[in-house]
Amino acid sequence: MAKRLENDTIDLGSTGASFLKMGAIVGAIGLAIALFGSFTTEMKLERFFLSYLVNFAFFLSLSIGALFFILTQHIGRAGWSVVVRRVSEGFAANVGLMLVLFIGVFLGMGQLYSWTNPEAFANDPILQGKQPYLNTQFFLIRILVYFGVWILLTQYFLRGSAKQDSTKDPKKTERMQMVSAPGIPLTAITVTFASFDLLMSRDPHWFSTIFGVYYFAGSFLGYFSLMAVFFCFLQSKGMLKETVTPDHYHDIGKYMFGFTVFWAYIAFSQFMLIWYGNIPEETVWYIRRFEGGWLNASYFLLIGHFIIPFFILLFREIKRIPAALAAVGVWILAMHWFDLYWIVMPESIKGHVGISWIDIACFIGMGGLYLAGFAFFMGRKSLIPEGDPRLEESLEFKNA
Amino acid sequence: MTDQSSGQKKMKLHGLLGEFKDIESILKASAAIRDKGFKKWDTYTPFPVHGIEKAMGIKKSLVPKIVFTCGLIGGIGGLGLQWWTNAVNYPWIVSGKPLFSVPANIPIVFETTVLLAAFGAVFGMIFLNKLPQLYSPLFTSKNFSQGATNDKFFVYIEAQDPKFSPDRTRELLESLNAVTVEEIEEEEHAWSPSLSPKMAWSIGSIVFCLILIPPLYIARAQAKDRTTTRVQLIPDMDQQPRVNAQAASTIFVDGRGMRNYVDGTVPRGGAQTNTGYYTGAENEEWVSNPLPVNRALLERGQNRFDIYCAACHGIDGSGNGPIAIRAKRLREPNWVPPLAMTDSTVLERPDGHLFNTITNGIRNMPAYGDQIHVEDRWAIVAYIRALQKSQHATLQDVPADKREQLREEGQK
Amino acid sequence: MATTAVQEIDNTSNDPTKRPTLVTGGLDFNGVTETVCRVAEAPSAPKSWYFLLVIAVAALLNLFVWVGYLITTGTGVWGLNNPVGWGWAIVNFVFWVGIGHAGTLISAILFLFRQKWRTSINRFAEAMTIFAVMCAGLFPGIHVGRVWVVYWMFPIPNYLNMWPQFRSPLLWDVFAVSTYATVSILFWYVGMIPDLATFRDRAKDKIRKFAYGLLSLGWKGSSRNWANYEWAYLLLAALATPLVLSVHSIVSFDFAVSQLPGWHTTIFPPYFVAGAIFSGFAMVISLAVPARKMFHLENIITLRHLDIMNRIILATGSMVGYAYIIEFFIAWYSGNGYESFAFVNRAFGPYAWAYWTMFTCNVIIPQVFWIRWARVTPWFMFIISIFVNIGMWFERFVITITSLSRDFLPANWGYYTPTYVDVLTFVGSFGLFLTLFLLFCRFLPIVAMAEVKATLPDAHVYHPEEDH
Repeated sequence: MAKRLENDTIDLGSTGASFLKMGAIVGAIGLAIALFGSFTTEMKLERFFLSYLVNFAFFLSLSIGALFFILTQHIGRAGWSVVVRRVSEGFAANVGLMLVLFIGVFLGMGQLYSWTNPEAFANDPILQGKQPYLNTQFFLIRILVYFGVWILLTQYFLRGSAKQDSTKDPKKTERMQMVSAPGIPLTAITVTFASFDLLMSRDPHWFSTIFGVYYFAGSFLGYFSLMAVFFCFLQSKGMLKETVTPDHYHDIGKYMFGFTVFWAYIAFSQFMLIWYGNIPEETVWYIRRFEGGWLNASYFLLIGHFIIPFFILLFREIKRIPAALAAVGVWILAMHWFDLYWIVMPESIKGHVGISWIDIACFIGMGGLYLAGFAFFMGRKSLIPEGDPRLEESLEFKNA
Repeated sequence: MTDQSSGQKKMKLHGLLGEFKDIESILKASAAIRDKGFKKWDTYTPFPVHGIEKAMGIKKSLVPKIVFTCGLIGGIGGLGLQWWTNAVNYPWIVSGKPLFSVPANIPIVFETTVLLAAFGAVFGMIFLNKLPQLYSPLFTSKNFSQGATNDKFFVYIEAQDPKFSPDRTRELLESLNAVTVEEIEEEEHAWSPSLSPKMAWSIGSIVFCLILIPPLYIARAQAKDRTTTRVQLIPDMDQQPRVNAQAASTIFVDGRGMRNYVDGTVPRGGAQTNTGYYTGAENEEWVSNPLPVNRALLERGQNRFDIYCAACHGIDGSGNGPIAIRAKRLREPNWVPPLAMTDSTVLERPDGHLFNTITNGIRNMPAYGDQIHVEDRWAIVAYIRALQKSQHATLQDVPADKREQLREEGQK
Repeated sequence: MATTAVQEIDNTSNDPTKRPTLVTGGLDFNGVTETVCRVAEAPSAPKSWYFLLVIAVAALLNLFVWVGYLITTGTGVWGLNNPVGWGWAIVNFVFWVGIGHAGTLISAILFLFRQKWRTSINRFAEAMTIFAVMCAGLFPGIHVGRVWVVYWMFPIPNYLNMWPQFRSPLLWDVFAVSTYATVSILFWYVGMIPDLATFRDRAKDKIRKFAYGLLSLGWKGSSRNWANYEWAYLLLAALATPLVLSVHSIVSFDFAVSQLPGWHTTIFPPYFVAGAIFSGFAMVISLAVPARKMFHLENIITLRHLDIMNRIILATGSMVGYAYIIEFFIAWYSGNGYESFAFVNRAFGPYAWAYWTMFTCNVIIPQVFWIRWARVTPWFMFIISIFVNIGMWFERFVITITSLSRDFLPANWGYYTPTYVDVLTFVGSFGLFLTLFLLFCRFLPIVAMAEVKATLPDAHVYHPEEDH
């Protein structure tokens, strides 16, 4: 075991520095293009903020998925995942960056959330009933609470695990396992309400109790896909070549498959119950997504987010070839991004899908910042939790 | 058969059974036997040993492919079933959903997919493993049957393998650290049946015929007419207690099942206080038509007249309906020809009298009171008057402004 | 040997530096066989077994009486009436189906997650599943009234030239529950084949040898057979996992596709599944704690197993609590007067007693499992598990009854009370469940011996061929 670690590159090294530098530059340029480019559209600044919200929700979901991954692996006392856990801790810690990026959402609140406008409440008794919840002050307080919980948890796990690298103290693992137990319900509740606040309240009338689970399902799936892509990338740069084996990819692939199905299950539950009940106040949300070009987008979501990955990931061999799995990961990430686009946009852009280069610029920009944030939080830390007592088990892991 | 009659079973070598003490040794032995090129051999372990497929060179199982195929058939079949039954063969709109509602069909598609795939897994496994296989010469080894499903590991090489030789194979097993090597023997005619095929066939046929008797008997009993009630396992409310008309009943003191009306009971519509309207006569005087005569009434009257009266009295009321014509032709002795509506007797009769005749009939003419509603009878009376007028009218009866028009039409 | 009590060994340590042993008492392959087979091979069962069997059979006979009475008389003997047309029958149905889910979870989902501890308990959890599904199927079966035409629910061509209505969630239920029962039985049976072969090989008398021989299909443990067998088992697990999710989701659709406030909510499918697993694990604890004592299986169903199951109870109980909170929040947030009334009525209306019983038993009481002592003390967890069972029964009662008893028109409001037939039929279903379970314990392998053996340290050696 020790030999394998010695022969391997297990830190980001110069890649981290270039992540930090290039990410920041690309981020600044990308966001600037999106911001100024939006003035060429009819919707002006609103178009930028819409795009910003989609990408914010996307990258936030990846960090949340990473946090859930850490929590579940600790609570399940998983051995296989130790070698992929440190990177997850890095991505999870990126919620700190997401809090900074929230400023963009805050600035765009007037355009993004119709309930920020007092006139919306004037002749609407239903909205008046919601006013104690849907108002700017309380919204900001809640967002701070969510991020507070997430930052505390992610920093705890990242720092604790990094400290263990040198101390090799198995007691630390036990403590992290203990923290993960209350961590899960805390994260579940905050993520649920965050999804209500950030995404569901785009249409302040509409409601769905499963919405939080839907966002969670996409987040978890998105993060597993990111893992497949990111580890393949790291290995192509010569890192972790001996450490992360096809057996680990196989397990990641299994999770991707499982959560593809889970996402479909949740999406179907939400859609079918609303379709069947056929109550106008609920169906309105879907009708907006079935009008004009959005209908084809909805079919595309069904096929691209579920049917295609489902059949591809059925094959064992694909899950064991890193490059193939990474390709599937890219596809799923794209579909996850499109899923969020499909959630955010139809309230403002009606009748046609209207993906534009602004969305792409905004994605590239925020993605650059996200990678820079990752490099910032990882710093000089090792790419694997060297002090974890189950590291050996993870290295020797064989996927039957 | 001659061997058995001699009283001694002829045994022949079926294969060699080697016992190994643990997993490590059996894995090594398997790899060695595989490399020697043996084909008809197997290992027996109390639980699936990780890595032994590779050591033995077993190909990947076909079970996944069977399961995938079955699942696909189940899914498509489930959707097809719902489409055909609910959208084609028995279309039936429920809660405003389309006949072919895919979202509502997904749950059952899922269930049929899983069901068939599971069948594929289980029966595919049983089929590929050639189970059930209730007899095997290996069971004759006490060591095998006490250990193979408990805590021992065996390698068995069949004598039929081309590479098999009793001595060299034994040496091979011993060289691989087998704890024991045992010869497994089998009767030369292990399956010599004590029943000849002919006998088996005839016994089988007789039993089969006997089994058929009860269902045939039931089928016949079901098809036969009978006067008594059939035995009904599930009555399903087919036979319900009830009182037939005019039947006796023990419930009432007078012993009758039917009840008389309470004194003063008036049936619905029976309170006919306006006797002139309902009978055509009041205070022993015929009344005239109580309904206001207008076009609607006359048209209704014509409609009813053509249905009920014209068969005898003729469409024009001349008394030349198809029945009257036919009766005349047949020279029916008892036939009283129907009167023409223009006959003077009819002309002179008051409205009430005509109404009464329709209601109660006269001579050969039956009573129509039960068939034609009161209002319609008065409508017929009004129409008869119109018919009469049509035969006896002068130009003076036509309104002044229509006379010119009538004259023009008459000239055409 | 059968009379010696087994020493409890605490193997619940969470030392991350080494994996704990799953089977205690130093049992080897033969030791596992002996421990498990002894349960079925002992000339007479423990006294407590006979005692329980008498009670169970009495309750079962009681079930026959009341089901017979119902069929000959009609469903009017139950407390159903307007506005509550679904009463105890559906409550009991959902309750029993839910119980079944833990069995499949342990045998299938944990198998996929490579949770080796499942091997000690999966067999009898699967048996529990099958018997619970039988009890569940009973209730809608007798609720239809004319039970002899119950086959109309299946797409069988009949003289009426009619087909079932596939857009109805009640028909989905028919398919889901019958598929679930079939697949569970197949899964159970396939898992049992190697152990039945062990029973056959150890059988002393002819009848046992014949019966087990037939049931085991002549299994000999051939590696060529194991290769197919392992794939079949893995794929069955992979199929049973979404199946178990679908079953309770479809049960939840029975309620959620309607427009009734309190029923129509999108979180129902995952919420019902979590609740089902929660109640099922509670039932596993309720059965495992006495069974391991009665049959001296403490070395196989160890404290560690119980500890993990209690953690799962805590986790799923919290998920149920999550659903309660979200439901309440959205009921308010929706701004829909009917929706919020339905929930206020649940908590403070005439059925408040049922609601708070449910809330206490499901959300508050399981929180004691945060304490380690509670998770490893058999008698205590047994009591808690009974509370959870009660709470989960009440959950279904609250959902079904409170929403139905409050129609949109206040003139149609009512209060539902069960009749004695309702109560005694439900008691009888426990008789059916327990009778089958006790017979299973005595005549079939109650622990998956082959699978337990595969988890023992001796089953794992260094394979030179496998090295990469």
